[in-house]
Amino acid sequence: MPVKTISYEELIPGYEFPPATYELSASLVSKYLKAVDSAGDGFVPPLAITACAIAAMTGSLSLPSGTIVIHASQELEFFKLVPIGDTIECHTGVAQKITRGKMSMLILELEVFDKGKEKVQSGRATIALPT
Amino acid sequence: MLTEIQEGKALNSVVKHITQEKINLYAEASGDFNPIHIDESFAAKTPLGGTIAHGMLNLAYVSEMMTSAFGRSWLSEGKLRAKFKEPARPGDTLTIDGKISCVEQKDDVSYANCNFECRNQKGEMIVTGETIVKLSSDKE
Repeated sequence: MPVKTISYEELIPGYEFPPATYELSASLVSKYLKAVDSAGDGFVPPLAITACAIAAMTGSLSLPSGTIVIHASQELEFFKLVPIGDTIECHTGVAQKITRGKMSMLILELEVFDKGKEKVQSGRATIALPT
Repeated sequence: MLTEIQEGKALNSVVKHITQEKINLYAEASGDFNPIHIDESFAAKTPLGGTIAHGMLNLAYVSEMMTSAFGRSWLSEGKLRAKFKEPARPGDTLTIDGKISCVEQKDDVSYANCNFECRNQKGEMIVTGETIVKLSSDKE
């Protein structure tokens, strides 16, 4: 089923992107570890989980062609180890939408839960979209 | 892993060379295909003048340094706050340095507060920030 997208103009503070579920399979983790040039340690790297949550957001957001997206800041908190093979559910939303001159900024929040509904990670990202 | 947790203790640095191939691999792994990362002709026409690495790729290197220093404590109960100052570009060599800024005790639990910096080969600051790692509880 195609992912329902929302345009940047439609985003308002409080908007929640559709939750997304990911199975953190050995192949997905291996692909991530290769990309970040790391050996790994038998658990899912917490930033691989963050990458899933960010992908859940960006996959649901429709931006005008040619829009540059710049990651300005990131806050993260990890709550538990996630074994390879676990399934996570990513919840993401818009905390603030700010326009300053030719710069638009989105402050996005994320929360990730495991299959037992325990929180494994939360975070906040500031994304700049120069216009 | 660090054997000595004390204020001022330096963490083992991580050095990584950024290539377009690595950026493309990260795009594949993360699903972030924004053209500023992967489309060299598009990126060349933007104010950035060329492709840049994903900020989360740079942060993955910070996390590698923290994992090397604190192991599972970082993976299971770490906190991070980062500001992306300048983009990392293909051809850059990034050095991530960190040190323990202080060790705090709160409600019988010890926490290591660390500062980190990620700089390129020219010394330009790419990412800066702080981390907190829960070390142990006296009750455990």
